[in-house]
Amino acid sequence: MSSEAVDYDAQIASVREAFEREFERFARFRAYEGTEGLSLDEAEALSREVKELATRHTAKKSAVSQLMKLVGRVPAEERARFGQLVQQVDKEIRGALGDVGVALAGRIQLLKTERERVDVTLPGRRPRRGHLHPITLLRQRIEDVFVSMGYAVEDGPEVETDFYNFTALNIPELHPARSPQDTFYTTDGLSLRSQTSTVQIHAMQRRRPPLRVVAPGRVFRRDTPDATHNPMFFQVEGLLVDRGINMGHLKGTLSEFVRRLFGPATRTRFRPSYFPFTEPSMEADYSCFKCGGAGCRLCKGSGWIELGGSGMVHPNVLRAVQIDPEEFSGFAFGLGIDRMCGLMYELDDIRLLFENDVRFLEQF
Amino acid sequence: MDISYNWLRDLTEITLAPRDLADRLTMAGLAVDAVHEKGGDHVLEFDLTSNRPDCLSNLGIAREAAALTGAGLKLPDLTVKNVGGRAEQFTAVEIEDADLCPRYAARVVRGVKIQPSPDWLVERLQAIGQRPINNVADITNFVLHELGQPLHAFDLAKLSEFRIVVRRARAGEKLKTLDGVERELDEQMLVIADAVRAVAVAGVMGGEETEISGGTTDVLVESAYFDPQSVRRTSKRLGLQTEASYRFERGVDYEGVRRAQDRCVALICELAGGTATEDAVDVYPTRITPPTVRLRPRRVEELSGLSVPAEESGRILRSLGFEPAEGDVQNGELSFGVPTWRTDVKIEEDLVEEVARVYGYDKIGEALPPSPVTGEYLLGDRRRRAARQVLTAAGFNEAVSISFIEESSGVNESGESRFEPVPGLQKVEGEGAFVVLSNPIIEGARLMRPSLLPGLLEATRHNFNHGTRDVRLFETGRVFAARAASGDEDESRPSEVEAFALLVTGEALEEGKAAGRAADFFDLKGGLEAAADAMRVGELEFEPASVRHLREGQSARVRLGGQEIGHAGRLSEELAARYKFRQPVYVAEVNLTALLATGERPARYTPLPRFPGVARDVSLVADRRVTFGEMRRAILSLGIEECRGVALVDVYEGASMPEGKRSLTLRVEYRADERTLRDEEVDAMHARVVSALEGEFGAQLRG
Ligand SMILES: [Zn+2]
Repeated sequence: MSSEAVDYDAQIASVREAFEREFERFARFRAYEGTEGLSLDEAEALSREVKELATRHTAKKSAVSQLMKLVGRVPAEERARFGQLVQQVDKEIRGALGDVGVALAGRIQLLKTERERVDVTLPGRRPRRGHLHPITLLRQRIEDVFVSMGYAVEDGPEVETDFYNFTALNIPELHPARSPQDTFYTTDGLSLRSQTSTVQIHAMQRRRPPLRVVAPGRVFRRDTPDATHNPMFFQVEGLLVDRGINMGHLKGTLSEFVRRLFGPATRTRFRPSYFPFTEPSMEADYSCFKCGGAGCRLCKGSGWIELGGSGMVHPNVLRAVQIDPEEFSGFAFGLGIDRMCGLMYELDDIRLLFENDVRFLEQF
Repeated sequence: MDISYNWLRDLTEITLAPRDLADRLTMAGLAVDAVHEKGGDHVLEFDLTSNRPDCLSNLGIAREAAALTGAGLKLPDLTVKNVGGRAEQFTAVEIEDADLCPRYAARVVRGVKIQPSPDWLVERLQAIGQRPINNVADITNFVLHELGQPLHAFDLAKLSEFRIVVRRARAGEKLKTLDGVERELDEQMLVIADAVRAVAVAGVMGGEETEISGGTTDVLVESAYFDPQSVRRTSKRLGLQTEASYRFERGVDYEGVRRAQDRCVALICELAGGTATEDAVDVYPTRITPPTVRLRPRRVEELSGLSVPAEESGRILRSLGFEPAEGDVQNGELSFGVPTWRTDVKIEEDLVEEVARVYGYDKIGEALPPSPVTGEYLLGDRRRRAARQVLTAAGFNEAVSISFIEESSGVNESGESRFEPVPGLQKVEGEGAFVVLSNPIIEGARLMRPSLLPGLLEATRHNFNHGTRDVRLFETGRVFAARAASGDEDESRPSEVEAFALLVTGEALEEGKAAGRAADFFDLKGGLEAAADAMRVGELEFEPASVRHLREGQSARVRLGGQEIGHAGRLSEELAARYKFRQPVYVAEVNLTALLATGERPARYTPLPRFPGVARDVSLVADRRVTFGEMRRAILSLGIEECRGVALVDVYEGASMPEGKRSLTLRVEYRADERTLRDEEVDAMHARVVSALEGEFGAQLRG
């Protein structure tokens, strides 16, 4: 070859050297471990520098690009080898820069993530909402169950006449329930209804059989307030009158009700009892929702919780509203909402229900 | 009532263990609350229903147990050892008031020796918590618990003229009872007297002077049937409930009077010696006859759902002491004489219950009744629920307050109501204000609430006292007002209206977050409007007005469709002082019944605007008395079709305003349906608006 012969290998070596000289300070970042200890600012500064480096060593005017252009001019016998070597240098340079870029980007990503990490256990920014009274919550659930079973919700006055509060309910003239010891009277001689059974009478006057109604509402009895008594409480009355109704229907209805309220595994039992407005009468118990019937403090070890009184509507009650007891029969039941509420939420003092302490109300 | 298991076994051949027996009885309607083991015996604690006085004894429970298990019944021995002389030789009985004492029997035992009772008797009594006294007293007590018939033993020697007079007490008559208390009697009380004075309160307690003492030799044993109502009244009046009164007031077996007496006398002769008269002076002028009740066997199944064969029904009833009587055999009807101790059984349904409860309620198959009707909620309930939901979402808690309030909370010193009732509560203006309880149970709480506000204010005071300063409450419930007297009982019933009330105090909430400012009138109003919107009623109108319990200048009457339905505002200074509130409290109350009676506002679609609207603001200085509402109405009534709405941007009442003036900034929106409005058109319309406000309210445009 002539004097103008070029030392291609030397050119390649010098390009490689030039790059390596500049790249030296970045070399340790080729592996991710090398970036550990870099702050976000450092990593970002380095990342910028690496990008500049990349521009200088890989762009069109870079030394490698110049070598690429030389390839065509290299004698044919060396062209292939030279081409390969140039390719390799280019690949090395790009590989080195790429590795550093990836490592730094990883470091930057990690540090940014760290910086923006939130404590997910801090309280959520939730809107302050108010709460429905526990009696309303339970009352609505009870209404929903009975409406779905075909009952109409009814109500009646809270201040009642003798006829509705007692006489029509077959409560005799001298019965203790009528005494001012037990029942509130107004100065006009009316009484505060002592049971929601009064609505039975109003309902049967308004609707003729067949009928099925439930009546939730306030009732009043002259109990001195204490941890387990209030002179006012809530009951729900149920009444169904039709042809061919018997105690089996009553049992079936109350069992279905407690299953819907407390779950499908809830069991019931029925004991004979006495109420002036039903005959035969029965008291219903359901298996304790807390212990499932094994016995616990809530159910006083018996496994059973009293649901309420019930029975077949007394013929005198039907007659009081001109329904023929030979043609129609029916059942009625009365459940205590407050009592159920007290048990469900394990209230240690039932007076809390009507104190309206916000700290109490906000628990429901 | 306590029953000793061992004692019970004296009367039945029952073999069931105590707890099993308790379960069996409970499931037959005789509720056993607890079973306690006590020194080789078991005590069954009964909680009986008031219709079963016949079970207030060992015999009563034994009879039930026998019927339920088929075990035999062993009646106690009534043979008296030493008999001599007729009772009328030693005493006489006169009933003056037979209405209160249908039957009275006296039998005498002479020559007894008073001493402590033998161990077996002491043991029986102690098992059921009774304290032994002496043999004769203990025997009467023993027979009471054994057979359910209360008895009394008099020291015959201490009865003046040795005779008994059953009569009403004389006015002012006094008697020192066995418990050592001197009691003043009234003329409605029945007493047992001798020739001169009362010696016992009939059916309640004997007198101290004629009681059995160590020196007693001759005993008069009383066994009687007293009128239940009379005994109840007397017992209540004297504040004295005894084992005897408890049974008499529920009704004892009027045919068991002599049997119990015989048992008592037999035991006295056996344990205290002496000679008994061969008979008793038994005054029983009008024999009480038990009813006969028919039973159509098909009714058992019709009512109970149990298919019990007629023979089985008969067997059950006979085992309980019902006597088969002549019935209409052709129709397959049965008839039963009711045992004299079962005063609760009167009609066929009662017999059905007897059969069903002995046969077993647990054998009744369960079924859901076929449904010919559909369910429905109370009218307006869906809207009520929607309002509750919106209010809780807005941070209000639901309160439930007692329906009666203290008189002083409702009425001021001059006897006037402290609260203005919700409109519509009083049917006629000024109609007899309050529903008053004649027998309150909470001191002073005599008024049926005329308003929900006293309850909410009381709740607020309670919360303040417990450190909660931010209170938002709502309540729905009945409020009451008396009605003018009327001949018709139903018509004289008080007016009852469902009211809805709201209370706000403390820090305001905005979008569920603490707003960093105190709540004011507009937080209250917003809550009320949100609730009304949820109930889908029309727009509420607020009109400045004086309301008795609200502070002048911060109170309004609330109207709906022109009808007044409530009021809202800041609690008056007078009431705030009364409750010792040191921060402003805002309250509103509306007639919910009336509100829900207005039709539900239907949701109606209007096409979305296709062309943009233009909003123009105007700031005006006007008299403070000129309301936003008036200005808004004035603008809308101009009849500019393109004017789509008037909103409030800002109220400025700062120091730079002249006295009595304020500045309002209003935003008026203009839009046409079919095209984009040109600026000149909007300018012209807006100019009309501004000049109308200037002209009508003397408002001045602000720079
Ligand atoms: Zn339990």
